[in-house]
Amino acid sequence: MHVRRLGALIVTALVAAAVSGPAATRAADAPEIVIGSVLPLTGALAQTGAGLRTAQQLAADLVNGHVSYPLPMVGKTGLPHLGHARIRLVFADSQGKPDQARAAAEQLITQEHAVALIGTYASSTTATASQVAERAGIPFLNPDSSAPGLTARGLKWFFRTTPHDGTFAENFYQFLGDLKKSKNIAVKRVAVVGEDGLFGTGAGDAEEAGAKKYGYDVATRVSYPATTTEVNAEVQRVKTSSPDVIFQASYVPDALLFMRGYKQQGVNVKAIFAQDAGFVDPNFLKAIGADAEGVFTREVFSMDIKYRNQAVPLIDQLFRQRSDGAKPLDGNTARDFMGVLVLADAIDRAGSTKPDAIRDALMKTNIPGKLTLMPWSRIHFDATGQNDGGAGIIEQLQDGKYETVWPFDVAVRPVVWPMPAWKH
Amino acid sequence: MRWHLLALGAIVVLGAAAAFGLRDAVTLDLFFTLLLYAVLGQSWNWISGYAGNISFGHAIFFGCGAYASALCVTHGLSPWLAIPAGALVAALLALVTGFPTLALRGHYFSIATIAVAALVDAFVRTQPWLGRANGFELPIQSGWAALQFPDKGPYVLLALALFAIVQLATIALERSRLGYYLRALRANHAAAASVGIDERRWKLIAFAWSATMAAAAGVLYAQYTLFVDPPSTIALAISIDIALIGVVGGIGTLWGPAAGALVYVVLAKGVALRIGGTGKGYDLVIYGAIICLIAAWKPHGIVGTVVDALRRRRGAADIPPGATGTA
Amino acid sequence: MADAGVEALTTFEQLLAGGLLAGLVFALVAVGLTLVYGVMDVVNFAHGEFLMLAMYATLGLALVGIGPLVGLPLVAIALFLFGVVIYRVFIRRLLAGPPEATVFGTFGLLVLLQGLAQSLFTGDFQSVPHPPFQGTLRLGAVALSQATLVEGIGALVLTGALFAFVEYTETGRAMRAVAEDRVAATLMGIDVQRVNALAFGIGAACVGAAGALLMLSFPVFPTAGASFALTAFVVVALGGFGSIQGALVAALLVGMLEVLGGYYLAPELKMVPVYVAYLAIVLLRPQGLLGRR
Repeated sequence: MHVRRLGALIVTALVAAAVSGPAATRAADAPEIVIGSVLPLTGALAQTGAGLRTAQQLAADLVNGHVSYPLPMVGKTGLPHLGHARIRLVFADSQGKPDQARAAAEQLITQEHAVALIGTYASSTTATASQVAERAGIPFLNPDSSAPGLTARGLKWFFRTTPHDGTFAENFYQFLGDLKKSKNIAVKRVAVVGEDGLFGTGAGDAEEAGAKKYGYDVATRVSYPATTTEVNAEVQRVKTSSPDVIFQASYVPDALLFMRGYKQQGVNVKAIFAQDAGFVDPNFLKAIGADAEGVFTREVFSMDIKYRNQAVPLIDQLFRQRSDGAKPLDGNTARDFMGVLVLADAIDRAGSTKPDAIRDALMKTNIPGKLTLMPWSRIHFDATGQNDGGAGIIEQLQDGKYETVWPFDVAVRPVVWPMPAWKH
Repeated sequence: MRWHLLALGAIVVLGAAAAFGLRDAVTLDLFFTLLLYAVLGQSWNWISGYAGNISFGHAIFFGCGAYASALCVTHGLSPWLAIPAGALVAALLALVTGFPTLALRGHYFSIATIAVAALVDAFVRTQPWLGRANGFELPIQSGWAALQFPDKGPYVLLALALFAIVQLATIALERSRLGYYLRALRANHAAAASVGIDERRWKLIAFAWSATMAAAAGVLYAQYTLFVDPPSTIALAISIDIALIGVVGGIGTLWGPAAGALVYVVLAKGVALRIGGTGKGYDLVIYGAIICLIAAWKPHGIVGTVVDALRRRRGAADIPPGATGTA
Repeated sequence: MADAGVEALTTFEQLLAGGLLAGLVFALVAVGLTLVYGVMDVVNFAHGEFLMLAMYATLGLALVGIGPLVGLPLVAIALFLFGVVIYRVFIRRLLAGPPEATVFGTFGLLVLLQGLAQSLFTGDFQSVPHPPFQGTLRLGAVALSQATLVEGIGALVLTGALFAFVEYTETGRAMRAVAEDRVAATLMGIDVQRVNALAFGIGAACVGAAGALLMLSFPVFPTAGASFALTAFVVVALGGFGSIQGALVAALLVGMLEVLGGYYLAPELKMVPVYVAYLAIVLLRPQGLLGRR
């Protein structure tokens, strides 16, 4: 008890030091380096956008501050190789729409003279904003969009730190492969279920491709409108295809409808693999209660990473203080936080604000995984601009909480397999 | 008539000067968006304003152009081909869906347009050759042959040309037999039918032209944004935006859609920038409140209200308010 | 072979039952809309947002310990008052303008209410804590959700009550008179504004009751109502604008088409038979299934 309180005190002291502003070591007239950030600040994705903005701003403030953490570029009072220049983030609103994202990127490049762009969360807006950067010859760092095609466009100026849907799907199949070895499980037929927007279609396509590659049968592919109010037909389709496991990409209301439907209709599978989203929403967990016990989800981040990088709880606390409603750090905000650090690191190493120099530095980026908030082996870009050290983790809902169960070397709990059957 | 042409000429001259003179991408983007929305609003105005059939599915015609552009470019064809191809598909879609539905009145037609648009949306989402939910990204090129430019100027010129053509066509419509029949049908369809005006025939003609204009705008949009997917081109939300532009400015008037587009762009960009950044939805509150106020207190839209005021000053008090189709 | 046949039959029975129940839920949402359509010929595009407000009201009551079923009358009364006020200050003005004004005025209301919900309650999905009726009812091989069953019974009770009110009460007769011919009704000494306000309020009260019941099985969020509203518009037009019993029949038809179409056609095309049926019926029988011209 005492130890825990002491720990809290230390955390609070560090936090206070971190936010108390930059030290006086920097020259008063140190130049500012503008990074343009395109985010959905209004519209349907506004809430997510507000969190991402907070995370990015926090990262910029820590780069400009003097308190150091085991994270790249943090606490050096700006960029040392550029005379401790501060980085300044300028935000522009994509409204979650491709045409607005394009206009926002143009504004940041032409009016704010941003030396690099970061953003934009939704894959469709990342597509258009990154084209503007490509045309202008400005580096674009994407920390948070998961459509695999984004790095298959042959763009010169596009870099993505997050793993994409293809990686996430492979992770599921690698996990199944590992289980076959360690537990001798039998899984042959997979059902692929998802909403019919970009999110569900992208995830489903990657899972179908993975099934072919890893030798599984796709029992059924169910694609449904995200705003549907009932899923009778969808659940029956899954049931009559008798799959061993279900891959599911859903938002909150449809995730609830499906889980209740599976229970009513006695759809007993060995596992349900969710694509986070609705299945990890606290309100989903509250509403569904014990019925979701045993569900797996892919994740990009977990607080368990604190066992590898002690900065995780500290950044979490700083983020909570700044975020509306004291929300904890999550996969989206952690990825965007890291994105700003990766850009700051590249600009510093470039020692210049020239686009070519920054691009060259980005291509030489090599940040070890233990210096990130993420479960990645490293941050290093391949020829397409994709981070080749990215990986997801798999969590399982055990006793009402998602716990990391894979990769086995970072797991905090053993896998429960199969999921408990429905009790009637 | 002469005043309308003079005003249009002044806009074209000023717009062209801006397109050649200005280098500021943000201002030019505003001009382009404004002109594109004005064209879409006018396109909607033909069927919903002049002909009086309120459509909530107009985005599908915009989508015809945008998808034609995406298909042409990704199949190695010239995007210029997308203009006639998209327009043709849009006009055919208008004829096929309009033939049965244009006979419907009031809410029946409006909901039918929602139903047709939902069917088109569902169709696109299931077709691999139409990109399903993923849509299309157009590869970066440059030049008039590729209909793609690194600068905004040529885009503004193209949008300006399209706007001028659409406005001229609408001036012609107001003075043509088609415009006269549409006004008669809108005022009293039974009386119009009794003097031998074939409702279906004339409304189909208006609908096909309306769809053609929207498709042309769609091609321009695709070449500008270089990204085409269902939510940004054919979704219900886009149809609603198009209809809003038409109504805010004043339906069945020549300059209403342009005025509506101006208000829309100022609101969408201005309100969102000033106070929308918190993610709290205040932008929606203000937007909704303005629409409510206009609907309840200025139901003829901006242009309709101005025209009514002018009429009253001229002493033409016997013209009922709202009958501004003859403006 | 015989087993496959039995299994296919069981699936069909299950889909039929699921479709009927889904249809009853659609009827629950649509019944209030029908009355407003019928009496004053207004397309209330904010109908779904009224439903969303009712769901938030139910959630608020649940958070202070009043469950959805006990809270139902309170929510219905609150929505009735809300409806009357909206009519008096807003809809009345729209009706005095050109016909487009009601369409765009109520659309503005939709945007306004969604924005207000977003700023007051955030975009989070929220559910009533520990709602009743979460079990499954089994009839032979068919399994049904108890919550949906309660919502379906609510739809039948509400439709019956509204039908009886319109057919057999003095006020109901006045409403029918206004629906039939506004001018004649005025000449007969009926206060049209009062009847309209009452109809709008009762329509809102119905959607209030619907919102309370839907919280048994759905979470609420700012656009929660919009998911139901589009189906409700189709249901009301299909049944014949203003026909209460027509809306019930149409809702059952829509539920069956959606579920059977979703299974035998493709889930992503489940709305296709619904819209095709709508188009077919308004073209061949423009007054709707049970509507009168």
